[in-house]
Amino acid sequence: MTEPTGPVPIRLVLVDDHRMFRAGVKAELDEISAGRLEIVGEAGTVDRAVEVIREQQPDVVLLDVHLPGGNGRGGSDVIAGSAGVTTRSGGPVRFLALSVSDAAEDVIAVIRAGARGYVTKTISGPELGGAIVRVADGDAVFSPRLAGFVLDAFGAAAGEIAEVDEELDRLSAREREVMRLIARGYQYKEVAKELFISVKTVETHVSSVLRKLQLSSRHELTAWASARRLL
Amino acid sequence: MVTSPQTARGPQGAAPRRERPPLRRASEGRVLAGVCRGLADHLGLHPLALRVGVVILTMVGGAGALMYAFLWATMEPEEHGPEARSGRRRWVEPGALLVAGGGLVMLLGIAALVQGLGVNLRLDITLPVLVLTAGAVFVWSQLDTTRRDRLLAQQGTDRRQALGRLVLGLGLAVAGLVALGVQGGSLSQLRDVGGAVLLTMAGVGLLAAPYVARLWRDLREEQAGRIRETERADIAAHLHDSVLQTLALIQRRADDPVQVARLARAQERELRSWLYTGPVGHAATLAGAVAAVGHEVEDLHGVPIELIVTGDRPLDADGQALVNALREALLNAVRHGAPPVSAYVEVGRSSVEAFVRDHGAGFDPDEIPDDRLGVRESIVGRMQRHGGTARVRRLESGTEVSLELPVATEGRPETRPAAGPETPPASGQETGPRTGPEGAEP
Repeated sequence: MTEPTGPVPIRLVLVDDHRMFRAGVKAELDEISAGRLEIVGEAGTVDRAVEVIREQQPDVVLLDVHLPGGNGRGGSDVIAGSAGVTTRSGGPVRFLALSVSDAAEDVIAVIRAGARGYVTKTISGPELGGAIVRVADGDAVFSPRLAGFVLDAFGAAAGEIAEVDEELDRLSAREREVMRLIARGYQYKEVAKELFISVKTVETHVSSVLRKLQLSSRHELTAWASARRLL
Repeated sequence: MVTSPQTARGPQGAAPRRERPPLRRASEGRVLAGVCRGLADHLGLHPLALRVGVVILTMVGGAGALMYAFLWATMEPEEHGPEARSGRRRWVEPGALLVAGGGLVMLLGIAALVQGLGVNLRLDITLPVLVLTAGAVFVWSQLDTTRRDRLLAQQGTDRRQALGRLVLGLGLAVAGLVALGVQGGSLSQLRDVGGAVLLTMAGVGLLAAPYVARLWRDLREEQAGRIRETERADIAAHLHDSVLQTLALIQRRADDPVQVARLARAQERELRSWLYTGPVGHAATLAGAVAAVGHEVEDLHGVPIELIVTGDRPLDADGQALVNALREALLNAVRHGAPPVSAYVEVGRSSVEAFVRDHGAGFDPDEIPDDRLGVRESIVGRMQRHGGTARVRRLESGTEVSLELPVATEGRPETRPAAGPETPPASGQETGPRTGPEGAEP
């Protein structure tokens, strides 16, 4: 995992409609955090989550994709409802989606709504801790499954490669390589070693893919998003 | 004779004593509204006898007609499938024509009789009233409960038919009212009264419209509610058969964590594929076969595998070889490696690549003793025989097996010889047909 970000702990809000799951995550994070993480609030519904986020101004929100309340769009509604809220130090609040759902439209919807990453609920405690730290630093967190979705959605698996990096509808060759390694179960550190680049460069590539995922108008993505009434 | 279920279900009359059908208006084999038919079915009589009886009773002071009307109003219509109702649907039922004609003749007869007795019938009033009544009957006949459902179903022909009846009924009613209002006056009077009647009807329609619309909406909601209820019942049934059963099993095996984890994992997968119909198709595609193999290995060893597949193509013999090699690699990973185990299969245009990675201490492929066929034969050899390659890499933490198989581009089914001549098998053991022994590792 990455180094602790400093003496100030990361302020965290847990949003999940299963109380038992929240308790489990809390226990796991307490065990591994060693003072780096501080859980400042919890919520089980969209409306309560927005309230807590406005009140606490956390650094990171751990967000379930499916939640009751709001406009029925779960995690995406929380992100929309918390627009404009800043952390205590004035930065943007980061969202990390945490879900049991494997459905592409759920994942894409919450990412396009503004989440900085997506991990599955089967993630181990230390890995989750690492993902939270990474998101708090403004980096993107991709699970292998999300990387797989991205490769599929951008046609990268079928060999579609962007000619210029700025192209929004396709991945660059390097981005594709990074995504493929993440899909193969490599940690960022291992990806960096494999491609002879720095971890920071890997993070840059992943963030760039996240940006494409959020902004691209590729029809697969827009179809998934419009199925969730995001557009 | 003993009644076996077979004879009881046989053709009518074959069974000695059938269950008495409920008293329902018949939808098939009826003349008018199906009252006589339904009654006859219920009582076990011949419908013709009942019909004749009703007609005779009608002749004698109209008691038959009254009885018929009462039964029509009170008897529930029979439930029937859509194919049954489409059989005899005509604009006007012949039976109805028959009865209408008979009734008209009877009315004329009675009128002549009464007139003959010296009573003034005032035909100028009674005739319009009769026309009005006929119109009302046409309109009200649309309220029949079975037709309501059909109207809601929005079937083209039925709707047009219903509309036709409605217009006819309304036309008759207006004509009757106008005739009543004019009472033999002049032509200009006819126009005035006609206008007044139409205006009144328009007003009444305007006032009634919100209620009608409300009623319509309620009906729609009720129908939607029924559909939702059915869906909910389906979901409940599925959850009961799958999730609840597994939960019960887990409670019974609570002391065996390996079993519990396996059950939970299998159930999770089943539920996922039911909810999201899975990221992969059926087993006849490469992605489907890969998923099936991944699940099989998970079930065998109870170790979760993060399996990601992108792209897909039809499953051919070479693809099957890759799947078999992948299975072996997965088995090695869950047996000798440490979790998390991840597998990534990318089906590209020109090649299929597969990666299996674990986090164990790792091993050096060159140090494997020759008698361990797992890697050497089942993975490397198999891939080579099908024109592909296999590599085993030792990472900082864990091992990664990567498989690559070039595939034919679409439209040109590549016919590669069973044993690729350019890549002779690692050992001379499996040169013949491709269907080598599965799981060669002892």
